[in-house]
Parts: sequence; structure tokens; C-alpha cells
Amino acid sequence: MKRVLQILVWLGLASIAAAALAMIALHRGEPISATWFVLAAVCSYLVAYRLYSAFIAAKLLALDNTRATPSERREDGRDFVPTNKWVLFGHHFAAIAGPGPLVGPTLAAQFGYLPGTLWLIVGAAFAGCVQDFVILFCSIRRDGKTLGEMAREEVSKRGGIIAQLAVLAIMIILLGVVALVIVNALKSSPWATFTLACTIPIALLLGVYLRYVRPGRVLEASLMGVALVLFAVVAGQWVADSAGWSRTFTLSGLTLTFAIIVYGFAASALPVWLLLAPRDYLSAFIKAGAIFTLAAGILLVRPHVLMPPLTRFVDGNGPVFAGKIFPFCFITIACGAISGFHSLISSGTTPKMIQREAHARFIGYGAMLLESFVGVMAMVAACAMTPGVYFAINSPAQIVGAAPEAAAQTISNWGYPLSAATMAGLAHSVGEQTLWNRAGGAPSLAVGMAQIFSTTIGGDRLLSIWYHFAIMFEALFILTVLDAGTRVGRFMIQELGGRVWKPFGRLNWYPAILLSSALIVAAWGYFLYQGVVDPLGGINSLWPLFGISNQLLAAVALVVATTILLKMGRLKWIWVTLFPMVWLVIITMTASYQKIFSHNPRIGFLTFANGLAAQLAAGQIPAAKIVETQRVIFNQRLDAVVTAVLAIMILVLLAEAAVQWHAILSRGQQPVLHETPYVATEWAEGD
Amino acid sequence: MHRLWSNTRPRLVRFWEGLREWCGDAAYENYRKCAERKGQQSVLSPAEFYVEQLNKKYSRPNRCC
Repeated sequence: MKRVLQILVWLGLASIAAAALAMIALHRGEPISATWFVLAAVCSYLVAYRLYSAFIAAKLLALDNTRATPSERREDGRDFVPTNKWVLFGHHFAAIAGPGPLVGPTLAAQFGYLPGTLWLIVGAAFAGCVQDFVILFCSIRRDGKTLGEMAREEVSKRGGIIAQLAVLAIMIILLGVVALVIVNALKSSPWATFTLACTIPIALLLGVYLRYVRPGRVLEASLMGVALVLFAVVAGQWVADSAGWSRTFTLSGLTLTFAIIVYGFAASALPVWLLLAPRDYLSAFIKAGAIFTLAAGILLVRPHVLMPPLTRFVDGNGPVFAGKIFPFCFITIACGAISGFHSLISSGTTPKMIQREAHARFIGYGAMLLESFVGVMAMVAACAMTPGVYFAINSPAQIVGAAPEAAAQTISNWGYPLSAATMAGLAHSVGEQTLWNRAGGAPSLAVGMAQIFSTTIGGDRLLSIWYHFAIMFEALFILTVLDAGTRVGRFMIQELGGRVWKPFGRLNWYPAILLSSALIVAAWGYFLYQGVVDPLGGINSLWPLFGISNQLLAAVALVVATTILLKMGRLKWIWVTLFPMVWLVIITMTASYQKIFSHNPRIGFLTFANGLAAQLAAGQIPAAKIVETQRVIFNQRLDAVVTAVLAIMILVLLAEAAVQWHAILSRGQQPVLHETPYVATEWAEGD
Repeated sequence: MHRLWSNTRPRLVRFWEGLREWCGDAAYENYRKCAERKGQQSVLSPAEFYVEQLNKKYSRPNRCC
């Protein structure tokens, strides 16, 4: 009887998921309630977790709770620490949830809400969660080895090097792109700039407190820090209202670029306890609070989604970024559906702390489902605002025009009615000088979040406070990725350099620290700079480049996972990782090809560069713009080369893996698995 | 009321312990317990342990995009 009831409950949930998805997909005309999005996502996730992840755990991975995990065998209280599965879920989620699932869906909303929402839900269930879960399992069975180490051991030496290079490449591009998102959010915004600037002394204060006053008392220090940051958000309004201070904190894109580059260098070179770690604590608490508040706000307000399911920009001529749904929707929404970067987290700290193999399902698959839900909420927040406002905020001036009236006319002509007065009123009510041409996703997401929050608490009176709270949350989030990523990049460069000249690899030798910090900052700083001076706003070129590199890393992870599973003799179920891998290779190769060779100058790097070069040769560029144009030509060609190198790397890895797979399948080679030997657990069931 | 409190209290304690573990407050206590169990002679001070943990944590990718 109980079994029948269970089946009925799951059938009911599956039916609700199907009905809600059908409602989202087939609804036309009137705005649709966000409740349908929440229902579709939550019910789909529950069914996917209950059925698909259980199938993977039982059939594909055969999780074994009698086997001692690394945290039991090697427990040392430092790296290998057995951790409660709920606590570890929180750790893992805090590590994988970055700005990607917020910014990606916001940008992809230019296609309408439908393609992005479907990819977020389906992509997470069948690709992203699978990658995180399987890589976590593989790493647990190898004492917490990294993706690069597993690629080297299980695929080939060259595979390991490719994985390491892919990680470094994605790190550099990622940091450049997320820094560009911050620059676009803070540009000409004294309130937001002041608030974010305040987080630096607050973090330094916390750093000293945690190091010398009360070592390791993170909770109390973070609560003090959060209170100070919230005060800084309120104080930002006083700064914006004061003519003198407002001028001081109104910075141009280029000034902000150099400020962020200097900050990144400092965060990498200074002791980690002083700036980086306390900022990370602040970010983690505010991140958890803001995501919870957004979810609660959407459930309480149940806003109507005003964006149509599909916009006219499915034709590839979108103002936010150019390119058709296939492949660019899947490149733009990376982290909310599948992110290669997660494989680095799944093969880092988490496997060393897991208590039982069975917990890998809850932590690996479950945390990614939650991240996907964050992406769906971001999509709802972006699509709940008037489409005209969304396009006004996210379109560069070169596409819609610099003058407000002309830009409003262009957007209205696209079929999304908008007046310049509406934008002026909105900017005034959120406490900004302007909201036109604020590409990057962060400002439009902040407007969407602020509208939801203010409907719950405070009404229009608090709209400006909520907007700047949302901007601060996004920027804090991103700066944490920026400084942590810069430091890791520094270590990678030192490791590589240490192979050539040993002293360079010494982590406590200051000349090496300074030089490697300068190198990594220069690398991502260059991408940031080219984004800021890009005539099309930077996001159009750089976000797809980031998406391609991130999805390529996911493909690398799935190649490694597939190879390991083949070696384990799981041929029958190999499609579980093989299908998402093939899909990722198809979308990344197609996107790479189009980004390099497309004849549309807004998509193809080379076409754009060649067009400018022809204008230059024909003397059509004014003398004052020649140097700038030459720089843009160089940048576009550089982006084409970077894209080609990334694509070649994955092709080489695929070829290496294919040789392995052929050898295993033709039984010409006895597969060698590099798992740690089985040791029975000494912990009682339920520990 | 007393029954409600006695039912709620263990849950609150568990939540508090979980929160302390999640944010890292309990890390040093766990390390000390582990060191005692293993009979280690030299044990790091809270400040040394804190800095060592941070240096390890931020030397590998630990924050995603």
C-alpha cells in the first residue's frame, strides 16, 4: 500500500512538472505568473533527483557505503575532515554558486524566457548535475585527486596537461569577463562605487580581527562585517546626494578598470588572511541571504513575467549579444545548466570531507539542482521587468543610439514600447544617474530583484536601497571570484614557471609572488580592458568566449568521466555521460566556428576585424580614431586565436580519449583503473 | 510550552552546530579533537591553524563562476 502511495505521489509530481512546463512553453499573449516557473522547476528537480540520480547512483556508479571514504581513511582534522552531509552540501553549494547563474540567464533573456528556462531545467538534470555527481564520485575513489590529475592518470599525460591549460585559460577569460560585469555595474554610479569601495576597509578590519583578536571566529566577525556592509549601502545614498562626494565616486569605465586591476594584484600578493578570506566570508553570508530573500520574494510576490516566450531576436540579431539560440543560448547560460568550473570544486575539497559514498548523490547532484534554481530565479527577475526596459539597460549605445529619445524609438520599433521618460523615472527611483546602456546583466538583474524586493518590503520608497543592495551583492560576489581566482591563477603560473626555473615556484619568495601576480593580473586585465574599449560594449565578444571556455572544460570533465566509467566496465550505461559530452562538443565547436568565421561582423571575430582593416586601408577611419581602430582589430584577432586554441585543445583531448576507448572496447588493452584500493568502513551505519 | 521547547531545543542546537561547522568556527575544535584521538604531540595554536587553513583553501579553485 505504501509503495502504491509513493508511486502515486511521484506520478503526481511528474504530472505537475509536465503541466507547468507545458504552460510555460505553450502560453501566448497575456503575461504569465512566475508561479508556473517555480512549479516547473521544483517538481522537475524533485523527479530528476528521485529517479535519475538514484538510477545513476545504483546502476552507473554503484555507490558503496561499506567502502571507507578518504575522510575516514586519512582523517587528519585539516584536509580530510568527515563532515555532516548537510554542512558539506552548504560548503559545496557556496563554492559552486557564483555570479554565472545570475548573469547568464539575465543575458539569455533576450531570446525570451522559454529557451533559457528549458535549458536551465533540462540541462541541469541531464548534464550539469551528472557532471558534478560523477566527477565527485571519481575523485572520492581517488583520495580527492583533482580533475587534471585524473585526466593525466586515466586518459593520458597529454590529457592532464590539456586539462591544466584549459583551467588556466578559463580562469583568465572568466576573470576578465566578470570584472567587466562589475565595471558596467559601477560606471557612473557613485552610490554603488562607494558601497563597494567600503567593503575593502571592512574586509581588512575583519581580517585583522580574525587573525589577531579572535582567531578563526568567523561567525561573529562575519555578522559584524555584514552589518557594516549594510550600513555602507545606506550611507551610499548620502554620498550620491552630496555634490562633492558624488563627483569623487563617479568613475569612468577606464578608471574603474585600473582600480579593479590594482585591487586584483593586491588581493593576490597580500597575505590571504588580510583581504581575500574575510571578503569571502562576507560574500558567503550575503550570498546566502540574498538568494534566500530572492526565492522568498518570488514566492510571495509571484510577479508576472512580461517578456514574451520568444522574442524577435531568436533570429540572431539580438542587441545584448549576437547569435542564434543554437548554439548561443547554451553558451550564454553556462553555470545554471552545466559549468566546467564545478568539476574543479567536485574534485577539490568536497571529496576529502564526504563521510559516505552515498552522500555524493545529495551533494553532487543536489547542489547543482539548487544552483539551477538560482538561475531560474534570475531568469524570472530579468523577465519580470518591462521588455523595453530590459533592452534599454542591456543594449550598447552603438546598437540603440546614444541619445535617450533615439534609443527609446529604436527599442519601440522592435516592438517593445518604451519612452525616454520611463527610463529617466526608473533611474531616478533607483538612485542612478542613468540606466541606459548598462550592458553586462548586473544592473538589469538588480532592477528586477529590487522590484521584487520592494513589492515585499518598503514599496517604491525603498526601491533605491534594494537596487543598491542587489548591486552590492552581485559586485561583492564577483570580486570574491576575482580575488580568489587571481590567487589560484598566480599559483598555477608559479607551478608552471617553477618547472623552468625552480626558485620561481617557491610560494613564499616575494619576487616570484609579485611577478606571477603581475602576470595573471595582466592577462585578465587585458581582456577586461579590451571589453571596456570595445565599440560593441565588450559583453558581445567576451561573454561567448567565457561560455565557450567554460563549456569546453565541462566537456573535458565528461571525457575524463566517460573514460573512467568505460574502464569500470559500465558500457551499458555509458550514455549517461556520453550524451551530454557529445552535446557540449557540438555546441562549443559550432559556437567556436561561428565566433571565428561567421560572416556577420557582430558574431565573427575575423569578419569584424577584416571589415575594420578594410575601412582603415580605404582611409575611411578619421585620424583621431586610427589607433583605437587598430587596437580593436588586434583584439578581435586575438579573440579568434584564443577561441581556436580552446577548440583545438578539446579536439586533441577527444582524440586521446578515443584511442583509449577503442583499446578498451576492442579488448586490446587491459584497462588500468587508478582507484585507491577498497577498505571496509569501520563506521557504523548512520554515522 | 515546556514540551514545545524540549522538542525545539535539540533542533536549534543541531542548527547552531551545523552553522558553526559551515562557516568554519568549529574547524579548530575538530582539529584538536582529531589530534587528541591520534595522540599527536605538537598541536597548532588557533591562529596558526587558521592561517594554515586559509593558505590551503585559497591555493586551489574554491569559488566558482
